[in-house]
Amino acid sequence: MDHLRHVTAALDEPPEVVGGKAHGLALLHRLGLPVPEAVVITTEACRAFLRDGRLPAGLAAELTAAVAGMSVVSVRSGAAVSMPGMMDTILNVRPEAVEDSVKAVFSSWNTPRARTYRTLHDIPHDLGTAVIVQRMVFGDHDDRSGTGVAFSRDPSTGENTPFGEVLFGHQGDAVVSGRELTLPLRELTHEPELWQQLEDALTRIERHYRDACYVEFTFESGVLWLLQVRPGRFTGAAAVRLATDLVDEGAITKEEALLRVSPQHLRHVRTPRIAPGAEVVVRGLGVCPGVATGRVALTADEAVRMAGPSVLVRPETSPDDIRGLAAAAGVVTARGGPASHAAVVARSMGKPGVVGVGRLDLAAGTLVTIDGTSGEVVLGTPEIVTTAADTHLHRLLEWADEVSGDDSERPETERLEAAQAVLRR
Amino acid sequence: MTVLHALRCVGSTDVGRVAAFTGLGESEVESELIDLAVAGLVTHHKGFGGWQLTEAGKAADAERTAAELDAAGTRTALKEAFEDFLVLNPELLDLCTAWQVRQVDGVMTINDHRDAAYDDRVVRMFADFHERAVVVIGELAAAVPRFGRYETRLGTALARARAGERKYLADTIASFHTVWAELHEDLLATLGIQRWTT
Repeated sequence: MDHLRHVTAALDEPPEVVGGKAHGLALLHRLGLPVPEAVVITTEACRAFLRDGRLPAGLAAELTAAVAGMSVVSVRSGAAVSMPGMMDTILNVRPEAVEDSVKAVFSSWNTPRARTYRTLHDIPHDLGTAVIVQRMVFGDHDDRSGTGVAFSRDPSTGENTPFGEVLFGHQGDAVVSGRELTLPLRELTHEPELWQQLEDALTRIERHYRDACYVEFTFESGVLWLLQVRPGRFTGAAAVRLATDLVDEGAITKEEALLRVSPQHLRHVRTPRIAPGAEVVVRGLGVCPGVATGRVALTADEAVRMAGPSVLVRPETSPDDIRGLAAAAGVVTARGGPASHAAVVARSMGKPGVVGVGRLDLAAGTLVTIDGTSGEVVLGTPEIVTTAADTHLHRLLEWADEVSGDDSERPETERLEAAQAVLRR
Repeated sequence: MTVLHALRCVGSTDVGRVAAFTGLGESEVESELIDLAVAGLVTHHKGFGGWQLTEAGKAADAERTAAELDAAGTRTALKEAFEDFLVLNPELLDLCTAWQVRQVDGVMTINDHRDAAYDDRVVRMFADFHERAVVVIGELAAAVPRFGRYETRLGTALARARAGERKYLADTIASFHTVWAELHEDLLATLGIQRWTT
């Protein structure tokens, strides 16, 4: 058992050995939460494979024995450092193809794109990735099956209500890839038992992390399975609200709250945002911060011809849309992620952008406001906030002044930094 | 053909950009555009957009590009090279994104370009990417020679960026990213692939 581990509550090796994903799955086991049976092949095995061009001696046999009881498996990468979307995930693998799939995932560590990503993000090239081989649960099994992602709290506001997306009748990759039209997580309340299970799981994980959390899940015929977990990593106003709420809930101390919020988050809070409480018609991923208001233009031509400010709304963008975006106040696309053509062009022009909203049923000429931070699209002209004039930030900064013993007038970031300097002393 | 096809790949634009796309002189482009307008294949809008394909122009371009490809008998070769292009495409978009934004304490933050070492590293990665892109463009040009022009244009954008005009990476109309996006559009148009279905 050199390179292969069963993922159980007893697995206590660090992410450097078993990868972040398997490390999280072991935690879920310890919390008594449902995880499909899995084994993990270590990063050391990956390094050996990349060095020698073959799997370490004995691993293939171990693997065959381990997957003998699983009829169909998924084979996923899981490095110590998150590299979203850079490596392969292979679903619906039959036992006889598992070995080749593991080799394929190991090899995907060294694609030029993955190498470029690591160079850009200061991740060493010699870490290698672990590989998780896990019994498939089928989100496309029947109409009480599906897949989704969930935060324990709203990651754009910090509000204490589960937030995420769900897709009925699909397998796990469909949500993350952004190719399919997802529903808001609350649609899962139509399956009350499932909803209850998920809420309980999120609560249990939060209690462990003493922080908000994120999970990926699949449900098969009404039974919930968790496939991935990590802390929520909230930023901006959401990070501030989360920290103060956790203090109120007795989960963390005021001092911990002050250390949880980065001064960078406070700078971020000053970017104009749509004020909380506006009715969001559709939400995607914010790719260029700022708020833009205008009438919906469905083509570049419409944007160019429109008399007042417009918001260009496209399935995705092509070169012909550049002039439309140049004329518009902001852009919304149905598809695409943070590195899509639309995102790159929006940033090059400094215009608020929201991508990957999924559906596009906004009528031409409708007045909308978009928030390139939260990814929200709102009808009309909602209230805009440019400073965090909210009670959560005031409270946090009062605690900061108590810690630093300085309540003079100065920028918010300085107040937080002064407190952090005292706490880290 | 090249002027008509330029408008298909670039979208509505002015004479200067068509000239840059095709490598032709501006006066030559302009007289060609006027001929195309007489033939009903393009129109000119004063004030916005400049020159633009008509529906007839778009159809004519699709027909001519397809005919050219079939006459050369290289559709399969071009499709295979396009697969290689699609492998590179997300990496280029990653690079443009890395140039424009950075994660600071988990927050997506506009790159203020004050970290020269980081910026230099991104420029080096563009140069590294370009070497691999040239190989794929070679495959494309082997199937349809006019794709060779993208090597020149990408090379020019990269050279300007390396010489200090960093907006030529991802932030201007003649940037590496813009030329790459036109190449993508050209491939979709030439192979008759729909970008999206509505």
